[in-house]
Amino acid sequence: MIEQLGNGLLLGIIISVASVALSLLYSVTRIVNFAHGEIIALGAIVTLFFSSPVDSRIIYLDRFSPLGMDFILSAIIAVLICGAFGGLLEILLFRPLRKAEVGNIAVLVVTIGLSIFLRHLYLIFATGRVQNFPLELERRQTYWFIDMTPRNFKVLIVGLIVMIIVGILLTFTRIGKAMRAVRDSNELASISGVNSDNIILFTWISSSMLAGLAGIFQATINDVRYNMGFLILLLIFAGTVLGGIGTSFGAMVGGLLIGIFVQVSVALPFMEGHTEAKNGVALAIMILILLFRPQGIFGQKERIS
Amino acid sequence: MKISGKWIFTLLLTIFSVSLVFYFNPGGPLRILGNLLTFAGIYALAAIGLNVHFGMTGLLNFGHASFMGVGAYVTLLLVPHAAGREGEISENGLPFLSALLIGIVAAALFGLLLGLPAIRLRGDYLAIVTIAAAEIFRLLVRDLESITGGVYGIINFSSALQKYRPLFFDEFITELELAPAQIWVGLLSWVSIFFTLILIKRLNQSPWGRALRAVREDEDAVRALGKNAVWLKLQSFMLGAGIAGLAGVFLAFNYGSVQTTLFVPLLTFYVWAIMILGGVGSLTGPIFGSIIFWAIISETDKLAALIFENADGQQLAGVRFALVGLLIMILMIFRPSGLLGKKEELLLNVK
Repeated sequence: MIEQLGNGLLLGIIISVASVALSLLYSVTRIVNFAHGEIIALGAIVTLFFSSPVDSRIIYLDRFSPLGMDFILSAIIAVLICGAFGGLLEILLFRPLRKAEVGNIAVLVVTIGLSIFLRHLYLIFATGRVQNFPLELERRQTYWFIDMTPRNFKVLIVGLIVMIIVGILLTFTRIGKAMRAVRDSNELASISGVNSDNIILFTWISSSMLAGLAGIFQATINDVRYNMGFLILLLIFAGTVLGGIGTSFGAMVGGLLIGIFVQVSVALPFMEGHTEAKNGVALAIMILILLFRPQGIFGQKERIS
Repeated sequence: MKISGKWIFTLLLTIFSVSLVFYFNPGGPLRILGNLLTFAGIYALAAIGLNVHFGMTGLLNFGHASFMGVGAYVTLLLVPHAAGREGEISENGLPFLSALLIGIVAAALFGLLLGLPAIRLRGDYLAIVTIAAAEIFRLLVRDLESITGGVYGIINFSSALQKYRPLFFDEFITELELAPAQIWVGLLSWVSIFFTLILIKRLNQSPWGRALRAVREDEDAVRALGKNAVWLKLQSFMLGAGIAGLAGVFLAFNYGSVQTTLFVPLLTFYVWAIMILGGVGSLTGPIFGSIIFWAIISETDKLAALIFENADGQQLAGVRFALVGLLIMILMIFRPSGLLGKKEELLLNVK
């Protein structure tokens, strides 16, 4: 069980970063974004596009690629591109929908359509093959009591630092305060001189950047696939729901817990030989939480029925 | 049925998309058409089930694939079949019709099981719970390899249905150079659509149907009038799930084998696209939606092959799926009521 803890922490930090992003977006815009997973995949695919040398890459747009840039630089560019993409989505798609007062359920179905559309664009342009970042293999080492490769350990540390930064930004800065104001009441925030359109745009950008980062983490630890975001999306929902929908700190903890649950459940006696079903454990937890404590661990009580 | 602009438009669009098939396949359009109408029938049936959920009652169900899966798996496991890697054919099984009935009831009961706790949830939460439950179902089926065949699935069950195929039907279909087995499944699914629609039409006009629509419009008002809104929603959930189960059985028999990969969330989204295209809440909408959808989808591969030279089969299939996603988005933004739906009957806001 203890050897699964390292894997659990790694999966946890991915889900945690992605859950914070999803939760942030939900709390400010009330959009349940099913296309979140595709922004995650975008982060990984763009990183692969920039960083991988041509012989190991199988992307359709080969001739435009800069052939094996520095990995860290590629990752940073990918995060920025994800942010820009999120901003574009808001300006071109979701802001007009909001202005036209399209209902929540219609927007939810739109995000599902968007998710299917983007995912298969990736399939067309990044192929259906499983690919890896051009990184060398590393030997596992022991940090305190957990075994993982130095690179994965770095991912864990970077993830934790990012979370702390997000937490500080949300709690102490003007923009964090404005986001919370828009979350509580769009109208009241507008009256107090907060430009809610800008705040929502900022939320889309930051949420997409975090999602892209989560995708890069996921691809560093595992691999790049066109549907990697969709495969992990339900776990992200589970993390968000567990922590309490719309609470950023809850999403951090919830995501981490879900990751650990999923990986540690592999070591449980009744799961022996059923490791394929491990995601089912997290989903079952999510359903139970929604039924018995819909506000999650940290959430405020809100009518959800 | 009064003839209005949207009816004429729908019929013209249907004729246009079917004629696309003739245009792109000058060699043997009939074969493609037979395949297309079989798929269209099966998916139309599934979309009718979904329409009971979303169109009639306003329930946001994104786990439709699991209802189809329950119907299919229960039925197939009851008729003679072979499951798993070294699957031996188990000769003793129920006759098809009784297995089918049990399958439909099982799907409806699965709807009840899922609905009992989940139905009280608000729309967007219900969407998450249903899609998660569908994934749990799929993971469980894949995991229980000793019964369901796991990733290897179930095979050798086709004769349970095909042995009822009359001889003259065979001769007639072979004359047209079509595959009798597939056309038989297609025919049965269209017959089922006919009877299902009659059933739903009657239910729609009954006090029960009115109460259901009232639940969609204003649940509190229904409660205030002394109706049990939760029970009404559950009944609708079961009815739609049962219809989905029937569609799942036909889907399995159309493929001739069934694996868990058949019941992925994408299947649900296909059915959603068909329902929205045909018209949310419209009785016959799913039929036209399904025919148009499959006609266009089946011809995109050829267009895609022209645009993306040197793409492999999986990538070409990606074009078709991307189109489905785009279709869902565009319809939901510009015409959420679809071809035949009524805008005022649409539930689009979380209450």
